Amino acid sequence: MKRFLTMYRVEQKLFLRTPDVLIFNLMMPLVTFLIITMIAGGKDAADSGLTYLQSAYVSLSTVGICCSAFMSIPITIVESRSQGILRRMYCSPCSPARLLACDTIASGVMAVLSTFILTVAAVGVFGYRMQGSVLVYIGVWLLTMASMFSIGLMVASLCRTTKSMNVATTVLYFPMLLFSGATIPAEVFPAGFRAVARWMPLGVGIDLLKSVSMGCYDKMAVPVFTLTAITVFCGAVAVKTFRWE
Amino acid sequence: MGHNGAGKSTTIDLILGLKAPDGGTATILGMEAAKNRKQVFERVGVQLQSTRYQANITVEEACMEYASLYAHPADYHRLLKDFGLGALQKSFVSKLSGGERQKLSVVLALIGNPELVFLDELTTGLDVVARREVWRTLKQLKEQGMTIFLTTHYMEEAEALCDRVCIIRSGKKVVEGTLEEVITASGKSSLEEAYLCFMGEEELL
Repeated sequence: MKRFLTMYRVEQKLFLRTPDVLIFNLMMPLVTFLIITMIAGGKDAADSGLTYLQSAYVSLSTVGICCSAFMSIPITIVESRSQGILRRMYCSPCSPARLLACDTIASGVMAVLSTFILTVAAVGVFGYRMQGSVLVYIGVWLLTMASMFSIGLMVASLCRTTKSMNVATTVLYFPMLLFSGATIPAEVFPAGFRAVARWMPLGVGIDLLKSVSMGCYDKMAVPVFTLTAITVFCGAVAVKTFRWE
Repeated sequence: MGHNGAGKSTTIDLILGLKAPDGGTATILGMEAAKNRKQVFERVGVQLQSTRYQANITVEEACMEYASLYAHPADYHRLLKDFGLGALQKSFVSKLSGGERQKLSVVLALIGNPELVFLDELTTGLDVVARREVWRTLKQLKEQGMTIFLTTHYMEEAEALCDRVCIIRSGKKVVEGTLEEVITASGKSSLEEAYLCFMGEEELL
């Protein structure tokens, strides 16, 4: 365990040293939140029953998940593979899986950190209070993270080259970030578009988090099932198709 | 020893279980590496050709990470000092010169206190001074009982470090034995001439 922690600590430091992780994962949600709140914080976000401040907090609390799942995880894993780092780790008493586990945990911690910073700003500075249960919210947030991470891990397993991984992450990351309601509030989209957002995996998570934040727990079954199914399916594909070289 | 493309690295890959053989088996310390990975690599160190490192990692962090893979790691501070890298612990690996990075990969190969170490073209890209430093340390380790399996293009390296040499050509063994045996078998006077002779390049002599 101590040996695992040593490797984890190093990998976590490497994440904190990567400028794009800091910008996209930690800064972007906070900056977007400040802009939305200052422009329209107190106004009602369409017919959602939330103000833009309340809606933006929930959506932006998933941006860290999105960045970690669709950028950090696939990039780190595919690069470690293509540069021979996993090959070198194979020649040790430890399996390359340990490095992957450390990187996945480090990515998760970045997502948590991102949401923590956002929460401090929302609660401390703008007086945001959640109507629903914070514990249920955390549970659903973790489930959303698990399902998005399993998609990211699946991409890392399926993409054999850095090039194909770049295409896959771009195709996943930007649409999810912009059109699932994570950064641009889904409430400003036209109705047809909003339906599409709802079908995106991250959109399912965001919708669920919004209802939980309002204290509505009656329509949780379908989205919880969907996210769990994504986690199980993509996780299984990731493990089955993984190659360390 | 052998030409570029003779199969030196492939031989190491096959022994270490990095590549699956078309036929046959290879054992190290009485075990097949692919089947007993944990036991084998707890006792066997490896330096692969052109090892790359994570972006933004420092020398010390790379050592910490590799040391964490082993049950009984060596003191990497001492290893770094022995290889002239002591002052570079806080440097980023990406900022090291080619020779320094090569020496670091040898340090990482030795970090698990191995009984046997595989070094694939360890001194390619090193200047004369750095090469001598690496040789000196490896000789010390050899005297302490460590077995070294190395591939090289340099005759003087084989002469300085090796008790036995094996020359391969197009994936096949041409000759194997102690330095004297190999030179005698060729009827030449030096290892370089013997090498060229076994490679069928006698017109170069």
